Amino acid sequence: MNTRRLPTGGQINRAKPLEFEWDGKPLAGYEGDSLASALLASDETILGRSFKYHRPRGLMSAGVEESGAIVTIGTGARRDANVKATSQALYDGLVAKGQNAWPSVRNDFGAVNSLFGRFFSAGFYYKTFMGLPPFEWGKGTGAWMWYEKIIRKAAGMGTASREADPDAYEHANGYCDILVVGSGPAGRAAALSAAQSGCDVVLVEQDFALGGESLSRVEEADTLSQELAALRAAGVRLMENTTAFGLYDGGVAGLLERVTDHLSAPPQWMPRQRFWTMRSRFTVIASGALERHLAFGNNDRPGIMTANAAKIYLNRYGILTGENIVIATNNDSAYLTASSLSNAGACVTLLDSREQILNSSQSGVQSTGVDVKSGMSILNAKGSKGVYSIDLAEKSPDGWRAKNQMACDLLLISGGWSPVVNLLSHRGLKPVWDSVNACFIAPDHHEPIAMAGSAAGIWDHAGCVQSGEKAADHAVAHLHGQRAETSNKSGGWQTPIEGLYEISVSGHQHKSFVDPQHDVTADDIRLAHQEGFVSVEHLKRYTTLGMATDQGKMGNVIGLALMAEALGKEIPEVGTTTFRPPYTPISIGALKGRNVGSHFRALRRTPLHDWNLNAGGTMTMAGLWHRPWYFAQPGEGIGEAYVRETETVRRTVGVCDVTSLGKIAVQGPDATEFLNRVYTNPFAKLAVGKARYGIMLRDDGFVMDDGTTWRLAENNYFMTTTTAHAAKVMTFLEELLQTRWQDLRVHLTSVSEQWAGIAVAGPQSREVITECAADPREVTDRALPFMGVIETTLKGNIPVRIARISFSGERAFEIYTPSDYGPAAMDMIWSAARVRKGCLYGLEALGALRIEKGHVTGAELDGRVTIEDAGLGRMASDKKSYIGSVLKNRPELLKDDRPRLVGIFPKDRREIFNAGSILCQNGNVSGYGNGWVTAVTHSPALGHWIGLGFIEGGHSNWIDREVVCADPLRKGNTPVEIVSPHMFDPSGERMYG
Amino acid sequence: MANRCSALAAYYPTGLHGRPGEPGVKLQEIPDLSLWQIAGWPDTMELIHLAITDGMNSDRLPAGRALAGSKGVAFQVEPLKFWLLAEAPPVFKEAHGVILDLSHSRTQIRISGPEAQTCLSRLLPLDLRDHSFPQNAVASSGIHHVGITLWRSELGFELFIPRGFARSIWELLLETAEQFGSEVI
Repeated sequence: MNTRRLPTGGQINRAKPLEFEWDGKPLAGYEGDSLASALLASDETILGRSFKYHRPRGLMSAGVEESGAIVTIGTGARRDANVKATSQALYDGLVAKGQNAWPSVRNDFGAVNSLFGRFFSAGFYYKTFMGLPPFEWGKGTGAWMWYEKIIRKAAGMGTASREADPDAYEHANGYCDILVVGSGPAGRAAALSAAQSGCDVVLVEQDFALGGESLSRVEEADTLSQELAALRAAGVRLMENTTAFGLYDGGVAGLLERVTDHLSAPPQWMPRQRFWTMRSRFTVIASGALERHLAFGNNDRPGIMTANAAKIYLNRYGILTGENIVIATNNDSAYLTASSLSNAGACVTLLDSREQILNSSQSGVQSTGVDVKSGMSILNAKGSKGVYSIDLAEKSPDGWRAKNQMACDLLLISGGWSPVVNLLSHRGLKPVWDSVNACFIAPDHHEPIAMAGSAAGIWDHAGCVQSGEKAADHAVAHLHGQRAETSNKSGGWQTPIEGLYEISVSGHQHKSFVDPQHDVTADDIRLAHQEGFVSVEHLKRYTTLGMATDQGKMGNVIGLALMAEALGKEIPEVGTTTFRPPYTPISIGALKGRNVGSHFRALRRTPLHDWNLNAGGTMTMAGLWHRPWYFAQPGEGIGEAYVRETETVRRTVGVCDVTSLGKIAVQGPDATEFLNRVYTNPFAKLAVGKARYGIMLRDDGFVMDDGTTWRLAENNYFMTTTTAHAAKVMTFLEELLQTRWQDLRVHLTSVSEQWAGIAVAGPQSREVITECAADPREVTDRALPFMGVIETTLKGNIPVRIARISFSGERAFEIYTPSDYGPAAMDMIWSAARVRKGCLYGLEALGALRIEKGHVTGAELDGRVTIEDAGLGRMASDKKSYIGSVLKNRPELLKDDRPRLVGIFPKDRREIFNAGSILCQNGNVSGYGNGWVTAVTHSPALGHWIGLGFIEGGHSNWIDREVVCADPLRKGNTPVEIVSPHMFDPSGERMYG
Repeated sequence: MANRCSALAAYYPTGLHGRPGEPGVKLQEIPDLSLWQIAGWPDTMELIHLAITDGMNSDRLPAGRALAGSKGVAFQVEPLKFWLLAEAPPVFKEAHGVILDLSHSRTQIRISGPEAQTCLSRLLPLDLRDHSFPQNAVASSGIHHVGITLWRSELGFELFIPRGFARSIWELLLETAEQFGSEVI
């Protein structure tokens, strides 16, 4: 393969040379080069190693279907594996290297695999797993554990960087009337016509240059810039470097825009890639067609590529890829390429498998010096790291027969063209076989999609342009609610194509590749057939045909043809596999966009978030919220901090940010009736200025949530929910109003964000509130008794609503202030608490306090618990109907032996036990046990560890019975004592006092 | 009276960011939001309309559009609920509907400048093209799974973000805007 850059020609900017590195070697190219063309111009011909056999591979194409030049780009954290050199724009400083080879792609020790090629045939893995016959039949091989590591190491191609990705990615939303995919002649014609009809058009092109096929046609390249200018003038939004990778419901197209992948020094403020969700009302697919290879001996050698690729390298990049070139074809398209190469100075021989070729075709190329041989093709390519000669094959009545050898340094293949129908296939439409043009084309359909150009199987330039305009007419008519002609007629060649997929002659055994990316050979296809894998879907999975990064772009049709031949059927009878998104690979980074690191999930901050941090709080996640976990003093860990906080609350006073509790405004003349229907306990007579603790059930009678509801005015309530169930409660209540109780005049609004919540708990809590209140008389014991509610102001005219309610079991208040006043209110309250030797406390101490009291929370109310189970049966009214009131009385839920809430002490008070353990009768630790532990803490008040949990029949059932807390995976068995859940101050004197 | 403390107080990097040159996007918190929710009943909606639009140049609030007047700006957020950006709530009989102060529940961020539309499209699945989302258009949507309300005022795009999520979304906005050259005002 003697490649050279021609002194003139191409779409490259020779005034701007670029330096790059290939496998450690400094090389140069030009602006406008792809990495592939720059390597080719530098006479680098071995660019990869094959997957299984480590055969040397060179460029096979010039586009996204490339299966040879798959390389690794970049270094360090920016190392990007499996990049197709044909799609990568060259930039100054680009570093590329070969992959799947050691020490290099030119000299790879892995090539020894070729010697064992017969053992790596289709189904290699399956057969390996079967085990050594007859000893391991039916049970798989035990040796797998030994060679798994070797196989895993050998599998795959390049390796991704292990470092964190330093680049930013983002998502984007786009809207347009018409999305045109592809900037070739058909796409441009469609876009211009549609835009001139007044439509908002977006045209996307996967290449780094706009123009498609026109970039490699000298006669069109000159007018391309004018056409692109006309598109811009017509308002078409042009997006190069952008792949339409999938089509989805509702006119949604997934686009991947490579924003900076072509830049040597991307600005730090730019994302590397952008993942677009483009919503269009109509899509024109002008995505072109891919030229097919042929299956023949050693058809994967460096120096063998598609004819169209050679044309692209010649006309777009100014590179003559060989001096003595043979082209094998079965269709007309290669003739133009032959003429171009001959005109550029190469000696060209054209082997046309067709015996009858129209004179006009022949004479056209013969005048340029091309030697045309009809009824001829290739049997085998000779050479290892390049091609130096070929064995010819000649048509015979019963197939092919071997002919003489012929010297050459470049072999070009044109086995026909496959329209890129992938996007249409994403819509669930099976492509249909066009036997005249020997390709799959789009079926008739009713989607708002039109195919145009060679994607529709149209091969001539004028036909492509015309089909683009017709597609635009179709689109515009659709937008106006009119029907239009939906399909373009395929064709355009003077002499019909001949269906040719493999050239083989009996007695000549060579490796003949169908899917070069996965090293699937023609023999593998036949082996799969012999072994009974006759369905195309089974064939695919057994041989891995079409499962590599090109997703069958290069080999699928050949594979299907070979299977059809083996089955004695026609290709349409065999069918085709389904194309699924993405059309080309997408980085994980683009899929995640900016939702990474601290933005993996949106963080929900309370108005006191920064206040808590400044006060030394350590935060923990509570749903999307960050809540203070504990406030450690110097020398303290969490264990010491929460015990101190718990003790301080019991002794003096503690202050805690409780903003994350759900808060719902319930307003309207029927609000009281509404609450009475959703809570198990009566709300009909709750006085204004009073709060009440309430339990809500689900329809099925299990507990959904608990909380307090405050009556602020006759028709105005303030409901609080648990942090965990805030959204669920809000949604359920809104559903009740909108579906079952439309007659009730009630409005619900989440006010969780409106109010900052501060709990002040402890014997000295009233003193703290009194010091902060603008009018201390409003917060006296008489003015604000237990479960009393007031709306008032703190000093500084800070509006607040205060209820005297307790979660800790101490005298306590919950104070809510409009969020923006949260820090100011907290400053004041904390100042008053601090002088009383109070503390800030977090979620851990909050948990300890409530466990001591036996108060339930989300850990206990897990959806399996009835109100009786939770020990709150007295709150279930038998005088009214409410949500869940019927189904809670199902016999199964009324059984006495259901697990009931209990307190748990270790028998040996020095012992510790874990939440999540199961409770079992001593000596019978089995199955799910008799109960489970939901929460544990060290109780400063009691001086030992305590827990809450559920056990069959509750406390009374386990008096004087021996129970163990079984934790087989962590701690083993701990003897425990089942006690009442009200482990501290059961009469509530401290709370009411 | 104590001062209100913005959700963005701890992270408000005023000045120019990202791409040099004239900023394509300007970001600004509109502080001290005064937001009222007015909710009526199916048979009192006309009366609620009248109360809300008092002082405005129309007595009808078209769906998806804001109406501005000397007393504030109003738009519909649910079939029976309206938001009123005004110093004081409207006056109407208690039987006609209910009023709720939501002034502290949302953080208002204005995004303006020649690239504001493009910048927002990176985060919002809304068609913000001029003919689809003209001045005074209003929509409910989501940024990073957080429900937001968007109103296009004569000064830019006004985002109303739940206060607890405001800082997180603000950080995303600042990051996204850098590519256009941004200015935090």
